[in-house]
Amino acid sequence: MRRRLKSSIVVLTVLSAMLVACGGALPLPGGKTVTISMIYGSEKEAWLVPLIEAFNAEKNETEGGATIVVEATPMGSIVSGDGIVDGTLQPTVWSPASSAYVPVANMNWRQKHGEDLVLGTPNDLVLSPVVVAMWRPMAEALGWPEKPLGWADIAEMATSEEGWAAYGYPEWGAFKFGHTHPDFSNSGIIAVIAEAYAAVGKQRDLTLSDLEDPTLRSFMTDVESSIIHYGESTGFFANRMFERGPSYLSAAVMYENLIAAQEAKRLSGESDQPPVVAIYPKEGTPWSNHPYIILNAPWVTEEQREAAEIFEGFLLAEPQQRKSVEYGFRPADPSLALGPPLDRRHGVDPNEPQTILEVPPAEVIVGVQELWRAEVKKPVDVVVVLDISGSMEGKKISSARSSLVDFIDLMDDRDRLEVILFNDEMITLTDLSPLGEKRQDVRNRVSGVVERGDTKLYSAVELAYRELEEKGNPDHIRAIVALTDGQDTASTITLPELVNRIESQSESGDATKIFTIAFGRAADRDVMRRIAEITGGKQYDSDPETIGEIYAEIATFF
Amino acid sequence: MSSTPRLNWVLLLVYGSATIGVLVAAFISPAFRAIAYAPLRDLLVPPPQPIVVDVLYSTEKAAWIEEAVDRFQTSGIRVDGRPIELALSKSGSREMVLAVLDGEAEPDLISPASMLQISLLEDLSAARTDAFDGPVVDRKDVETCRPVLNTPVVLVAWKNRADVLWGDRPNGELWLRLHEAVTEEAWDVYGHPEWGFIKFGQTNPLKSNSGFQTFLLMTYNYAGKSGGLSNDDILDSDFQRWYREFGRNVTKFGDSTGTFMEEIVAYGPSRYDVVAVYEATAIEHIDNAVARYGSQYGGLRVVYPPVTSLSDHPFCVLQADWVAAEEAQAAQVFLDYLTSREIQQLALRHGFRPVDDTIPLSEAGSPFPRYEANGVRLDLPDQVEVPPGNVLNTMLEFWARNVQP
Repeated sequence: MRRRLKSSIVVLTVLSAMLVACGGALPLPGGKTVTISMIYGSEKEAWLVPLIEAFNAEKNETEGGATIVVEATPMGSIVSGDGIVDGTLQPTVWSPASSAYVPVANMNWRQKHGEDLVLGTPNDLVLSPVVVAMWRPMAEALGWPEKPLGWADIAEMATSEEGWAAYGYPEWGAFKFGHTHPDFSNSGIIAVIAEAYAAVGKQRDLTLSDLEDPTLRSFMTDVESSIIHYGESTGFFANRMFERGPSYLSAAVMYENLIAAQEAKRLSGESDQPPVVAIYPKEGTPWSNHPYIILNAPWVTEEQREAAEIFEGFLLAEPQQRKSVEYGFRPADPSLALGPPLDRRHGVDPNEPQTILEVPPAEVIVGVQELWRAEVKKPVDVVVVLDISGSMEGKKISSARSSLVDFIDLMDDRDRLEVILFNDEMITLTDLSPLGEKRQDVRNRVSGVVERGDTKLYSAVELAYRELEEKGNPDHIRAIVALTDGQDTASTITLPELVNRIESQSESGDATKIFTIAFGRAADRDVMRRIAEITGGKQYDSDPETIGEIYAEIATFF
Repeated sequence: MSSTPRLNWVLLLVYGSATIGVLVAAFISPAFRAIAYAPLRDLLVPPPQPIVVDVLYSTEKAAWIEEAVDRFQTSGIRVDGRPIELALSKSGSREMVLAVLDGEAEPDLISPASMLQISLLEDLSAARTDAFDGPVVDRKDVETCRPVLNTPVVLVAWKNRADVLWGDRPNGELWLRLHEAVTEEAWDVYGHPEWGFIKFGQTNPLKSNSGFQTFLLMTYNYAGKSGGLSNDDILDSDFQRWYREFGRNVTKFGDSTGTFMEEIVAYGPSRYDVVAVYEATAIEHIDNAVARYGSQYGGLRVVYPPVTSLSDHPFCVLQADWVAAEEAQAAQVFLDYLTSREIQQLALRHGFRPVDDTIPLSEAGSPFPRYEANGVRLDLPDQVEVPPGNVLNTMLEFWARNVQP
């Protein structure tokens, strides 16, 4: 993952937040207002959003008589921390999923500003331990709940050749594991740190020299090889697991509250998946503590600070704290009792965890991130399928070309890329091979693509699919990214044939994922959604303005 | 005939002057002021300006002092007919000492958590001849500077873990066992690998009083005495090695005592097994632990060191050029009010031990008897002697150089 991906996501998220804000709570003319912006970890969205609406409706005032307006944007905790440090994000309040990344943000901020970005010890809003979510039958097959399971057990499962067959369930196939992208999301970096701890058998004091250990490196690489794909946010990842079921993903790193919420859905009949349980790793696990941080940054005014403190008081007041339990959180207010859905019936155990896995110091966290990017991360084999039919002329083809070049820049040298261009014929611009050796050549050739002819979408996707089946490395994440602006007009196969072909292979989480981009209004969105969703991929609507953002989001999957 | 009107004029003048004199006297008299028609009264004689007393106090006693101030303000107590207005601000104990020394705060009445800080303030301000005419407090003058509440340092642990560590009865080896446990690193030595490493939290002695007291108790314990701590005891290299080893393994040196107590309850035993806090802080949270986890972990257990150190919450009137005579007088009146029986009983209900020893800890409304099963004691262990300022300074310097994370 390269820095550019992060900054482009940050910029685009801010733009969309501004658009939302413009349509939302604009102050009435005449009254004095003070607006505070807040960037927060998406896992607490369900609890937080109604509270912000209620707070804004109360028209709370500062001592100077200004009405306080709160505007909030959910974002991955790591990418938001980096965005604040480089100044592309300038919120008043930052509330990441946990304090884990705060020392890194402080370290980087100090280099520029000579002081800390986060002063003192901010208050926690709500608490939830980091856990491994696993389908209950699978957890039971591993001996849960009698046998305590840990990060090392998960790692062992992830690296086992036999998968579930070793436990008497060959029908479940391989152990399919998932966590979010450690450059974007708190639970992603926590998962990778936990792998490192498990590799050296420690529970605290992970050091930079531990990271040099070749056994640690090969251990982490093995664990990561069972990853089906990464993702931008923990909330999205949880939804993906709970929508698609056990054949897609066996287990994923997330927060206790997301499991309690899913089980509440299942028990009320909203979800027909099997039960899911929280495994509290026996070696210990870090907490997600949702600190409320009023930033020590030059863009935060005294009035905003005062307003932010008033909003903090509101969130920490008893009714709001009590409300958090309904969403599966443990309130930060120690005087409040825990209650449903925080109970065994909902797959979670309020008497766990028994101990913590210590979050290492800033330089070690950065070391883990770097190690992950350079060596440990699961590589991707991606086939990009690009429509170059006549209707793509003008701004469309130029934006498609330049954003594809940006997308290529986001990929690592170890990743393998193939590009197929299609109109009424199909041209393989570059074969599936490591990007490192051909990056500049591919960039040049993509930049020179011109449009003409008909649209042979199904045949092109089918070809890409076949290419990955034949040449793709099963140890890599495999994905197709297909962009078209129109309807299929010239394929030699029909849509049902294509769907059949993909469907037979796509049950499993480690099968090829297809991401489809409907470019402009003429594109056949229903067809593209169908193709994407049967693989566990995603369909996007796009245009020349947003295509960069879409490519950047797709890149967070790998 | 002609003299009669003349006499009337004289009489009128005499009576008139007398009437005005009585009226003016009446308006000035407090008894009259209280019942007079307010706008007329204020028009004729402006009300006396209140005497503003700046009170800087340590955060642990906030709940009690706020209630005490509310009662004081409605009591109608005055100095020379002038009402007293109390301007409260709170901070950490050590912070407030530094703020006064640096000239950032100019309170009339100061109340850190312990006489230790008063001792430091007295010695350091005496040494700062450039800024002060002499020491700004006099801890020997019990009239203007005296303890108001007592609360000892205790260890709070989850009962199941305290039982493993100390058995039924913690004894004189309490600190040695804690040192051993913390430096052993893991509960598996005690047969409980599932509890992970041993997590102990205390506040940073440079920032907070409870952390300093904990450090002091361990230092005394190592030296095998409870009084007469000297610089030699701290400079002893075996002691320094012993304490550094402990410091390296402390899970966290925090800023605030209250935060530790909140976290041990909010996070359960995963975050901290044992924390060093004040008895009053512990009492405040015992019920919360039960509400949160029921009988799981056996609730919280309060463990008293064999010899302890009291936070005696002194209130001291400052002797500095920014304290006017009437402010000193008003501060003294408030200090006397805080040691009145009513406000001392109020302190007991907040989990503090009153300095008024005629108030039994077992009296109605006291939380002490209620928590005896959690280890809360009605009697009080002996206390270590407060060392002189220069020894305290040596301790702080050692800590800052060798242990500070």
